[in-house]
Amino acid sequence: MQDSQRGYDRRTFLKLAGATAAIAACGGATPAASAAPSAAAATSAAAATKAPVSGTLSVYSALNESTNNEFFKAFNAAYPNVKVNVLPLAAAGELQTRIRTEKASPKSDVFIGGSSEFHDPLGKEGLLEQYNSPNAKDIDAKFKDASGYWVGWYTGIFGFISNNDRLSKELGGKKPATWDDLLDPSWKGKLILPDPVKTGGGYIFIATQIFRFNRDEAKAMDYMKRLHANVAQYIPTSPGALTLIDQGQFVGCPNWAHDILTEKGKNNPVDLNVPADTGFEVGAISIIKGTKSLDAAKALVDWSLTKEAGDLNVKLSNRGSTRADVAPAPGSPKLSDVKLVNYDRQWATDNKDRILKLWQTTVGI
Amino acid sequence: MRSLRREPGVLLALLAVVVLVGAFIVYPQVRVILTPGDSYGEFFSGGTWRNSLLHSLEVMALSTASAVTLGFVYAYAMVYSDMRWKPFFRLIGILPLLSPPFVVAASYVILFGPRGLITYNVFGQTISIFGLGGIWGVQTIAFFPFAYQLIADVLSRSDARIEQAARNLGAGSWRVFRTVTLPLSRPGLGAAILTTAIYVLEDFGNPALIGGTFTVLPTQAYGLISGFGDLPGAAAVSTILLALALVLYFAKIRLDGPRSFVTVTGRASSMPRPPVAPAISWACFAACMLLAGIIALVYGSLVVSALTVAFPQNTALTFGNFEYITSGANGTALQNTLVYGLAAALLSSLLALVAGWLVERGRWTGRRALDLLLIMPAAIPGLFFGIGYALAFNEPWLDWLDRGVLIIISMIFWNIPVGYQAAVAGLRQIDRSLDEAATSLGASSLRGFRDVLVPMLGGSLRVGFVTTFVRAVTTLSVVIFLFTPSSTVATIRIFQLVGDLNWGRATAFTVADIGLAIVALGAVALLARGRIALGGARA
Repeated sequence: MQDSQRGYDRRTFLKLAGATAAIAACGGATPAASAAPSAAAATSAAAATKAPVSGTLSVYSALNESTNNEFFKAFNAAYPNVKVNVLPLAAAGELQTRIRTEKASPKSDVFIGGSSEFHDPLGKEGLLEQYNSPNAKDIDAKFKDASGYWVGWYTGIFGFISNNDRLSKELGGKKPATWDDLLDPSWKGKLILPDPVKTGGGYIFIATQIFRFNRDEAKAMDYMKRLHANVAQYIPTSPGALTLIDQGQFVGCPNWAHDILTEKGKNNPVDLNVPADTGFEVGAISIIKGTKSLDAAKALVDWSLTKEAGDLNVKLSNRGSTRADVAPAPGSPKLSDVKLVNYDRQWATDNKDRILKLWQTTVGI
Repeated sequence: MRSLRREPGVLLALLAVVVLVGAFIVYPQVRVILTPGDSYGEFFSGGTWRNSLLHSLEVMALSTASAVTLGFVYAYAMVYSDMRWKPFFRLIGILPLLSPPFVVAASYVILFGPRGLITYNVFGQTISIFGLGGIWGVQTIAFFPFAYQLIADVLSRSDARIEQAARNLGAGSWRVFRTVTLPLSRPGLGAAILTTAIYVLEDFGNPALIGGTFTVLPTQAYGLISGFGDLPGAAAVSTILLALALVLYFAKIRLDGPRSFVTVTGRASSMPRPPVAPAISWACFAACMLLAGIIALVYGSLVVSALTVAFPQNTALTFGNFEYITSGANGTALQNTLVYGLAAALLSSLLALVAGWLVERGRWTGRRALDLLLIMPAAIPGLFFGIGYALAFNEPWLDWLDRGVLIIISMIFWNIPVGYQAAVAGLRQIDRSLDEAATSLGASSLRGFRDVLVPMLGGSLRVGFVTTFVRAVTTLSVVIFLFTPSSTVATIRIFQLVGDLNWGRATAFTVADIGLAIVALGAVALLARGRIALGGARA
């Protein structure tokens, strides 16, 4: 046991070293990658024919369909002895409920993807395993749980999607530069919003407003109430809202920048812009308490935090990485480039129920 | 049926049904309701449910009235009129039941949304489908097939001689319809109203996608689970739904009263129905054509988008979407869907028939309770049925149980109400003297049931089989908490693809799912040599 543990640690180190070396070789814009591990990595990569970690993992994944396949294939290439059974369900709330209802006999080992708001309560309810991955040291403290129940490995920025044709015809092509611009009466009936109760994105939108008004909840609710007058519909899923803008059923919608970019990339007549003072999500990964494949689960967490995994996820989903050395997707906003609100994730998570109920009474639905 | 003590076979059957209902309907729901938490009282005093309750009642009244009316017209046209193209209409009458959530409702938006192909591009209107009006329209089309099937089954068993007699006594065709046909269809009509009303109450998919801010009880419950992780609050909403179903149930009992609806007696009847005026047949044809037009439009647009790159923005032809669905594990998902659906449909319809016989012909105490419990699942939103199973059967000592089996069991009991209703309505039309003749000749009650009644209840069996099958292959909410990677079904894949914004692949999967379901139903119909015809009663 101890041997395998040590071996695994060495392997992780080598993977990291290899990844850094690869970037150095490509001349990536990473801060000072030491050239020293390069040679060591090259020799050991050939030597590491047998992966020390093995087991079978049942993974509950809230990642996109297209991301899942490539992502776990790449993980398998790094850990050939770990068999991964992915249960894909791009609805983090449902996966959270599944984990709760399966408490008596957990059916999953790892919960990957979905905003940290979905992982955090599970940790507090004692359904997650604490784990401080050695690779988490590269991750900024604001992207991970202090108690080690979950760690953030990707980021998503909230942006704004607009239908090109209808925007230019009906609103003079004026994209909202700030969230306040959406209160303009010309947006009435042309705006949709992911339902704050049913989607993670919708809630992050409300929380963003609260932080934008320096936690003055009354002001934020006043904003949401005035916005409500312009909102034609609250859509039960974030991707569903994008489809409606693609079709031109409505003109604009606050939504995830990475998904908007993906839609634009498919030649849909839509565009992305990021209004000032926006919020963002931290996509998390956590280990389910009671897992029988703890080593393999830890290996998946470790691997998800590597630069290799970060780069791959950026390529597959247009999302950002919590690692500073992973470059964002072409055309996508960088966390450091957009004007973000001072988003207090822990506060937003802890006050979610209260704020949502406040919002429901404010707008009367 | 004789006293239970003298019929050990019947007693055994009864015990088996009671145990099954207790284990797979009552116990999981008790687990849901007893979810630990303190928000029950808080929830009820909070009062957020009042609006949703009012909305639910409003939608129920509107959609049930229109769906049952439409179902009756359709059933009358299929059974009585001489209109043409009946096989086509039989297929159309079952399509709305084959509606995987998300996809079909989204198809309505493409056609009838603010920039819908029909509403905007053809008629230049920007009326919105979102809200009460949209739910009403979509639910009417989604639920009329239940009413149609239950009513057609009863109508087709009505006795032509009574109508012929009324005609001979000088009654006009309208009078015959009003005083003979309509009253005799009451068991079917009652069952249709009850079933449709409960299914409308329980409907989640349509209000979620086109309800907008118009929240009904099931969408509120879903919001409580996914937004607040508030299972107890959601269970409280589920309890309100069950209470409403209870009220409907007792209202129906009052309405039915102690009347007799017997139309099938021992005396032979081979008399044809009185002919229907050609004008009426043509009116029936026109009405059915109109409905068929809308349904064909909605499902046709699914086929078109499955064959195009990005419908409706980019309509370039492609076969890539269909190539995709045969790749990887997608074939397994389709196969699972068919296997689970067929197994559940067969077992559910047979169980419904036995249970219907035990309740309708039995004289034992507690019949009413079992009757109620067998209708209850219709009022349980699929989400709760699934959560109930996850809570009740996710125990370490049950880990050997294959999840596919659990999914089949959940589909059997979630879908039993329609088959059961059909069986009871059918039995009420058959004179007791028929099975009593068998028993007085020395046959056991079970034998009388098997040899005399079952052959006459082919229609009821068919209704149960078809309904369970189509609901099983199109449900998402029941399986979403139960499926595992190896027991994935088509609706889960469709849900994933919609979430991935892959509309072409999602619709291709939907078309394959619906197509395979129709092929499977057709094959079963052939195997049963026409006894289980596609989509309801034959004229």
